[in-house]
Amino acid sequence: MKTPRISPQTLRVLERFAECPTAWRYGYELSRETALKAGTLYPILMRLAKFSLLEAKWITTEDGVPPRHTYRLTPNGMELARAKQTTSRSGVRVRRTAFSGGKA
Amino acid sequence: MIPPALPRRVAAFLLQSVISIAPRDTLDWGHAMLAELRHVQGNWAALLWSLGSAGVLAKRALLSLIFPSRNRPTIPSGGDLFSKDGPMRRPALAITAVCVVASLIFFVAPVFRQAFHVSLLPWEIVFKPDYNRLSPELQTIAKKAEQDHDPEALAFVAFRHPDSSESVRLADEAVRLDPTLIWVFATVSVRTPSLQDRWVPALERFDPQNALPHLIAAEEIDIDQVLRGNVPDRAEDEPPAWQSAMAAAFKSAKLDTYSSQRKELDRRVLLRYHVGDLALLADNTWFYGLPSYGVWDAARYAELILASAQVLEARGDTKAASEKYLAIAHFGQLLSPNVNARFYEPAEQAYTRLAALAAKSSRPEEAAFYAFLADPKRQTEAKKSSSRYRGFTGNQVARWDADLARRSGVVMLLSGAILLATLFAVLLRSKSLHLSSLRPGRLAIALGLSSSAAFFVSSIVLRLSYQPYAEILRHFIRNGDETGLTNPSRFSWPRL
Repeated sequence: MKTPRISPQTLRVLERFAECPTAWRYGYELSRETALKAGTLYPILMRLAKFSLLEAKWITTEDGVPPRHTYRLTPNGMELARAKQTTSRSGVRVRRTAFSGGKA
Repeated sequence: MIPPALPRRVAAFLLQSVISIAPRDTLDWGHAMLAELRHVQGNWAALLWSLGSAGVLAKRALLSLIFPSRNRPTIPSGGDLFSKDGPMRRPALAITAVCVVASLIFFVAPVFRQAFHVSLLPWEIVFKPDYNRLSPELQTIAKKAEQDHDPEALAFVAFRHPDSSESVRLADEAVRLDPTLIWVFATVSVRTPSLQDRWVPALERFDPQNALPHLIAAEEIDIDQVLRGNVPDRAEDEPPAWQSAMAAAFKSAKLDTYSSQRKELDRRVLLRYHVGDLALLADNTWFYGLPSYGVWDAARYAELILASAQVLEARGDTKAASEKYLAIAHFGQLLSPNVNARFYEPAEQAYTRLAALAAKSSRPEEAAFYAFLADPKRQTEAKKSSSRYRGFTGNQVARWDADLARRSGVVMLLSGAILLATLFAVLLRSKSLHLSSLRPGRLAIALGLSSSAAFFVSSIVLRLSYQPYAEILRHFIRNGDETGLTNPSRFSWPRL
């Protein structure tokens, strides 16, 4: 599976999606949860979608209100998010071990 | 006060505008950002959201223009204003063409070409590939002057030639053809100190009462010391040759910087060669009648004389002390009001001492006269009324006007560059030079339209803002009217 470069910001977005894998998320909601600005968040979402790691759909919430774009991870995206989370946690564990003189 | 909803309205407008030029593969994302904008809490937060989103889309649009094959074709959807069959495509292309043609028509007029040249003078150092190369206007004058053996035109070019050796050659040739132009050496030698040895004696013979050759000689000694890294802090430590040159300058009957001769020569040459380019006059040599260190040197030497006069006064030799004070006062009178600001202090001290000596010798009228001349308020008034001071700091309108002209020139340059880049990108994308086969995308049309409009508007602003300077130059060339002639300096030195 071809994957994009995973920046710390991308990892933050993946983590948010992985918290509730089946839920559809709005862009603004993700922006608030990850504290990423639109100029950072959307290129990440666009890149994830380009690699088929993210699916998007338009949903109408109320009558008269324009539809909103929502996102959730594809199975590939979920797999990547879990893999990256594991790597990230083991990395943290290694770093903690190193800083605590081997007493993890 | 800004209405609370205004930032949100601006945000929506900005995002909608950027969506209209977004490439096909980002359109959905653009609409997604716009849809989210309605849910962003806070009007200013909405504006920030829009700015960030617009930045993303604009970057994609730019990339699609530069790399047309990156699967980012601009969308020709039926409802778009600038799409292939859109209602605004043809008018947009027509407006772009009209703006470009109209702006190019401006360039037909010589005065507009001069305005454009002058407006870019502050950036000449950036754009000029070879500093020692003459401008095309000067090249024309130089070529014709050499062909016609025209001494005045040769001198005109010599004053302005950036290459000092060529400047010297032209000055030599001008004086050879017309020996009465020997004063030309004074102006050229100020810029070419290494040749002062040859020219200063000739200038002394030509105009023996003038202090200028002595000041030039003192400057040469100064420059020599600067080059050897040995500049004395105190004037008394200066070499005897410097002190002799300054003493001779202080004893001279007059100080003629030949600025009036030079202005008349410039005027005659501009008239004869039908040149009205302000850039030729907007150079610093116009103002520097004296060698660059002249006033500084004179002030330092005056301080040296003041110190020796005070010693004499302390010894009771009031006559010798008075002579020294009078020498300072005399030189202060020789300096024109344009350049004597640095000399105010020693002159004031000399007058104060002369007033005190006259009072001590029971000459009250003389004492009152010197006290009047020494009055600091009078000196300040004299400074304010000096033409240079007025020209550089007083005229806010001229400063604003020159700013406007300079900025218009830069906008023209930038919009012209964008226009050319857009055209180049369209040609590259179409791979054809046939007009019928050109298929500019929406972004190309938007860029072309906005840059051509900016080019046209800035051309009009430049033409209007340059008009006062064109009039000043026209009056100077035709009638010798120097009113406002110092204002061209604003183009060369915008911060003044």
